[in-house]
Amino acid sequence: MLRREPASTLVFRLISGFFALTGAIVCVFPFIVIISGSFTDNMTILHKGYSILPRDFSLEAYKTIFKAPQDILQAYLMTTYYTVVGTAIGLFTTTLCAYVISRNEFKYRNNVSFLIYFTSIFGGGIIPWYLMYASVLNLKGSTLAIWFPALTSPFLIILMRTFIKDAVPDAITESAKIDGAGHVTIFFKIVLPVLGPGLATVGLFLALGYWNDWYRSSMFSTSSKTWELQFYLYNLLNAQTAIKQMAQNSGLSHITELPTESVKMAMAVVATGPVLLFYPFVQRYFVSGITIGAVKG
Amino acid sequence: MKKDTFRMHLSRCAAILGKEHYGKNLTVWLTMFFSIISILLSLPYSKWISVINTDALYKKLKLKASVIETLDTKYSLFNILTFVKDTKAGSIGLYSMLLLFVMIATLYFLCLYIFRVFVKKKNTNGNLNLYLVGKSASFFGMLLTLGLSGYISFSASKLGVKCFALSPMAYIVGILSFISYVLIKIVEVEERKKYKEHGFFQEFKKNWVLFLMLIPTFIYFMINAYLPMLGVYFAFTSFNFRDGLWASPYIGFKNFEHLFRADLYRLTKNTILYNLVFILVGNVAQVAFAIFISQLVSRWFKRTTQTLIFMPYFVSYVILKVLVYNLFEYKSGVINTMLVASGLERIDFYNTPYYWPFLITIFYLWKNLGYGMVVYLAAITGISDEYFEAAKIDGANIFQQIRYITLPLIKPTFIILLLYALGSIMKGQFELFYQLIGNNGVLYNATDIFDTYVYRITTTQPLNIGIGTAAGLYQAVFGFVLIMVTNAIVKKSNPNYALF
Repeated sequence: MLRREPASTLVFRLISGFFALTGAIVCVFPFIVIISGSFTDNMTILHKGYSILPRDFSLEAYKTIFKAPQDILQAYLMTTYYTVVGTAIGLFTTTLCAYVISRNEFKYRNNVSFLIYFTSIFGGGIIPWYLMYASVLNLKGSTLAIWFPALTSPFLIILMRTFIKDAVPDAITESAKIDGAGHVTIFFKIVLPVLGPGLATVGLFLALGYWNDWYRSSMFSTSSKTWELQFYLYNLLNAQTAIKQMAQNSGLSHITELPTESVKMAMAVVATGPVLLFYPFVQRYFVSGITIGAVKG
Repeated sequence: MKKDTFRMHLSRCAAILGKEHYGKNLTVWLTMFFSIISILLSLPYSKWISVINTDALYKKLKLKASVIETLDTKYSLFNILTFVKDTKAGSIGLYSMLLLFVMIATLYFLCLYIFRVFVKKKNTNGNLNLYLVGKSASFFGMLLTLGLSGYISFSASKLGVKCFALSPMAYIVGILSFISYVLIKIVEVEERKKYKEHGFFQEFKKNWVLFLMLIPTFIYFMINAYLPMLGVYFAFTSFNFRDGLWASPYIGFKNFEHLFRADLYRLTKNTILYNLVFILVGNVAQVAFAIFISQLVSRWFKRTTQTLIFMPYFVSYVILKVLVYNLFEYKSGVINTMLVASGLERIDFYNTPYYWPFLITIFYLWKNLGYGMVVYLAAITGISDEYFEAAKIDGANIFQQIRYITLPLIKPTFIILLLYALGSIMKGQFELFYQLIGNNGVLYNATDIFDTYVYRITTTQPLNIGIGTAAGLYQAVFGFVLIMVTNAIVKKSNPNYALF
């Protein structure tokens, strides 16, 4: 049933459309600039600067990267490793804990929740945290120091608890208990099978965190062999040495032959590509995650 | 057999103390009396620790005569740290500080217990909460005495001389605590039966699988959060490599004084101001865009714009660095290229602090607009259409609908997001600042926040542990107090919105 809307509504819709479109363009604009930079001839960038659409189209940057891909391949492999291991173990940890504090019969569920929540409002600070891993546990340089610190978070545990409470009503677990099922059976046979969306959401949050992290590499990596992809990119932008290494790998005799500017942009595209490719398909999980997280706390 | 007779004695005691009214009261008043004695015995004027073997000790610590003159021979737990500081005996510093914390916790629980005895709260489980407080007080009292006896042998082994002796007062507190603990435990057993509650051990027996399931999380939070909290001790030391992490001299509040003189004001101001602007501008923009998108008619257009605006949230902050480089670089950046093309002067962004507060806010918006917008959009979509239909029939125009329906109904979401954001006002957005500014010293004055400051200290050599930890501790305590105060205010005005 269509009803005629008053003029003011139509005008406002027009304005809304305009702003939404502008917002979308502004948000996408930087990506376009990066992508077009990666396809621009390096000399053009040096002389005329970056531009919104590529002038002097060239694939030189990508060719340079893929001519000697060992470094970026290593970073890709390491990041994939951190993401897979961290997400798997993190998901396991988070779900177990969320299951426990979602059980009404567990007497200390509120105490445990509070102890978890407390870590988000008070902490010892970065340096004691750093010393814990670097000096006390002596994990500097190990890959464990890179994936362990992000295994779970108060936000994710509370989010998962909400998912469990929504997916499995107390009545169902109660009747399972009466039939003689223990917690392990209830967890694996009743809760996990219906927890698909929750697992997907929390898992995606974990995976995104691992993929986008550069911080822990900057703290704990001692060799470029264990660098995360984003930290590799960071170094490429920051340090001349990384560029030199790249020039050597690709067999160029002099650093000036390397298309430095466009390579930076191409590298950014290569590092972000997977996230943006997956993003449209998994977006709804993130939307449901942050919506639930914000409403129920 | 033996256990049974013990049980029998226990239950007989319980019968006397617990079941009858005066017995229960007797226990409470007795333990309260003990608590008062304990408090009187542990206040700062009572010197529990005396220094013995002074000559051998001072020789071992290689103290100068001028220092020795200033030293006392008797200390309470409240000023034992001045002894540690004056003698530069850093290796017993952390232990001394832990004892001080246990002491403060003991006093806190003792006072709370006395207070609770007089001001009774109505509870569904009788006196059980009161007993919990009493048990905590006596537990910490016992821990204190145990810790002190451990302290004697610990300091002897660390300093090489048996140097401390305990006054009997410390033991009296321990014994009184022990008696109180037993007394309370006895009446608690009866009370638990009455209210059908069970204690830790029964819970463990019943739900041990659940405890097992918590182990990974327990390990994680211990290593990642709780054990590092002990490290705040470093804020009071001056680290040197000869003594190492755990034995560097204790220097009291010197690090904080240094910070206070140098950077504290600037860091606090920057951190709070930036985050306030982020919260205000961010939420307003997010609400506005949520309303705009909710007004769109075409589903395709709606979904596409939402997807695109949410997209920046998913890229790493390193990409932000690429972007800023790409846009604002002096020679080849897009903005400067455009300026030159239209006949204007280039702008040297990287050396002009003036622009950065705006740029940082803009990039914050760019990255986070989608996040909050999605939440508000969900809240708006959740509003029943009937409200709007009814409003239309009554002749309300679109602005009135927004003003009187949409905005009031998304207010709860707004307040919750606001509170979350306020909670992290002291530590917001490290990655944003670091990737935008990096190690560009020219811009520090306008853009340095706590996290970037501490990060720089952590990653540059030599690592200045003392100052860095002090800054982190100040930040944590300040933030914590801020959250508690905000939450208390919110709780008072509307309990539904309180964080906890």
